[in-house]
Amino acid sequence: MEKEVDDPPVAVEIDQTGQQSYYHSQSDSKRPQTDDVSVGVTVITGYLGAGKSTLVNHILNSQHGKRIAVILNEFGEEIGVERAMINEGEGGALVEEWVELANGCICCTVKHSLVQALEQLVLMKESRLDHIIIETTGLANPAPLASVLWLDDQLESSVKLDSIITVVDAKNLPFQLNKHRDSSSFPEAFLQIAFADVVILNKVDLVSSEILEELEKEIHNTNSLANIIHSVRCEVDLSKILNCQAYDATHATHLEALLEESKSLSTRHLHDGGVRTVCICDSQQVDLDKVRLWLEEILWDKKDGMDVYRCKGILRVQNSDELHTLQAVREIYDIVPARKWEGSENQMNKIVFIGHNLNEDVLLDSFRGCALTT
Amino acid sequence: MAGGSDVAEATALSCVQCGKPAHLQCPKCMELKLPREGAAFCTQDCFKACWSSHKSVHVKAKLSSLGTGSTGEQDLGVLNEGWQYCLRRGQSRTPKLPHFDWTGKLRPYPISPMRVVPSHIDQPDWAVDGIPKIEPNSELQRVVEIKTPDQIQRMRETCKIAREALDAAARVIRPGVTTDEIDRVVHEATIAADSGYIGVTSCFSYDLLKLVYLFIEIRDGDIVNVDVTVYYKGVHGDLNETYFVGNVDEASLQLVQCTYECLEKAISIVKPGVRFREIGEVINRHATMSGLSVVKSYCGHGIGELFHCAPNIPHYGRSKAVGVMKAGQTFTIEPMINAGVWRDRMWPDGWTAVTTDGKRSAQFEHTLLVTETGVEVLTARLPSSPSVFPWLNA
Repeated sequence: MEKEVDDPPVAVEIDQTGQQSYYHSQSDSKRPQTDDVSVGVTVITGYLGAGKSTLVNHILNSQHGKRIAVILNEFGEEIGVERAMINEGEGGALVEEWVELANGCICCTVKHSLVQALEQLVLMKESRLDHIIIETTGLANPAPLASVLWLDDQLESSVKLDSIITVVDAKNLPFQLNKHRDSSSFPEAFLQIAFADVVILNKVDLVSSEILEELEKEIHNTNSLANIIHSVRCEVDLSKILNCQAYDATHATHLEALLEESKSLSTRHLHDGGVRTVCICDSQQVDLDKVRLWLEEILWDKKDGMDVYRCKGILRVQNSDELHTLQAVREIYDIVPARKWEGSENQMNKIVFIGHNLNEDVLLDSFRGCALTT
Repeated sequence: MAGGSDVAEATALSCVQCGKPAHLQCPKCMELKLPREGAAFCTQDCFKACWSSHKSVHVKAKLSSLGTGSTGEQDLGVLNEGWQYCLRRGQSRTPKLPHFDWTGKLRPYPISPMRVVPSHIDQPDWAVDGIPKIEPNSELQRVVEIKTPDQIQRMRETCKIAREALDAAARVIRPGVTTDEIDRVVHEATIAADSGYIGVTSCFSYDLLKLVYLFIEIRDGDIVNVDVTVYYKGVHGDLNETYFVGNVDEASLQLVQCTYECLEKAISIVKPGVRFREIGEVINRHATMSGLSVVKSYCGHGIGELFHCAPNIPHYGRSKAVGVMKAGQTFTIEPMINAGVWRDRMWPDGWTAVTTDGKRSAQFEHTLLVTETGVEVLTARLPSSPSVFPWLNA
């Protein structure tokens, strides 16, 4: 055995030729910190053939100067992503680059492996990514994906859910929706529309204006909060579909505009018990603790058998000069103060539910119980 | 990554001692053809400062090249073949130290081959490769299970075994002991109970949050966490504690005590009807008040026949965690509290998490059962548990 020496030998200069490094992750310091804004993630759903790929290509090919990464994934039972295709769409030139994403530890972590993979993607790129698009195939219900992507602000993640976009095919939609009449389960189309923030009604050139009107009504009946955009070959204005900030609690203006627009957002009763929208309004100030309990009974305990998919609203809260926003996807909900009420404003509570088996009277009566007793 | 032929870029290697860009390397390591990454330094001074612990690498390398086995002492399997660096959570190994810009002072060391669990002992489906098969797709990821009296009884037994195994580890904590030795002690304690302890030792020291398969020798002044999960009669039991090694500084004492208190306070609010997210509020309040931060990446979790299932219990405040506690639920609470910032990063092995600022972190964990009126701490200390926490000795 070598005799122990107290002093080390003289260290030698490192010869820097061809160091083979195992590239696994890039350091934080290498990523240019242009700003602290997180990268928006848009989920695109829709039937095969509706035009999802066309939409994605349109987004990438338009001259917008943005760097967009597209994740193509087959979602079956599991939500995960192993490879991402980064399309650089700048100056019209498409650079395709397959990037392998290592899956992080899945146990007892707060962030789903999909989120970790997306964060790694953002870290990996030397220059800023402007947006991430997840194009889904075979995903009937976007809710689990939304739940996974709608992160707590506390996590200060480099990615955040921007919106869910559903592409529907004007020519085939009537057929898809009619399937429901014959079976006991919902066609995927209803679920995809119910969870959408934006619905792109594509191939409008292939159907008559009467049918278009019918379809608009049908979509609106299901989800009166979604922004419906007509398109031919998915050529839509990008400013309407990117940077929606649909899950940004403080982005109240968009929400308020929606709630202001329609006098009543509640849609007609469907005798076949389909998916519909219910809107309740009340002017009394509410106790926030009671509102939470009320909402939890609906979302977590399925009060009266009601099945809520999405919920958005504004609240007039006791002892607060701030307008609060309410947002929910399945059981996950968040109520946060958004901004101060303006002097001239008519302070109101207005909440919209999108779901199945909704009972407007029950919802309104029980909500009134959240107000201060006068 | 680094631009093509930019060889002058020094960020390829970091000084083992201080983390700065390194231009010098140990000549002995060069001679022995050892990984350069474990022997890079920025100055002769750093090299000198590191020498007493670094030189042991040469000894081990020389002995292993002779192909001899252990000399009968606690050489802890270093000399055996098959020690390589862990990657991808144990799915693969590499003979070279992976490239990474390390924070703090600790570096990975090659790991030993897996210890064998006798075949008469039941193992969960993830025992072989660390990847659970049933767990990810189980309904129990969505719905919180209410345990049957039989399941509860089995969990009581499993948790008691886990507690005893952890106590066995606590008793061997002292300067000079290696993590491999701790792993062996726990392994043997659980085999003796006809249960399986399947390879999840995590040791904290300095800046690390969670390590597995790591060979380090703990030193006076360190704080060390040992995390034990046991599988017995078809159910899991999970707990961890942070221990002091020799004489630790005041800051570490306070960090560990505060972390202990965070868990204690969180447990005190557990009873039917309480929202899961309340736990994070309590922990966050106590940690922040003490000037410490809460790690956000890892959370408490439901446990039973599955190792990890619903609910997810974040330890930070203002989360959107879903659900309220009900009698019959079993879950863990396991806050990690940092002396510095809350952010953490992952090592190339896909498992080790470290603090981004290199400062210390501590953790405590219990497996709990919600009762009709409150809580039962299934992994609670026993009268026989060693007295290792000064604040409990009053």
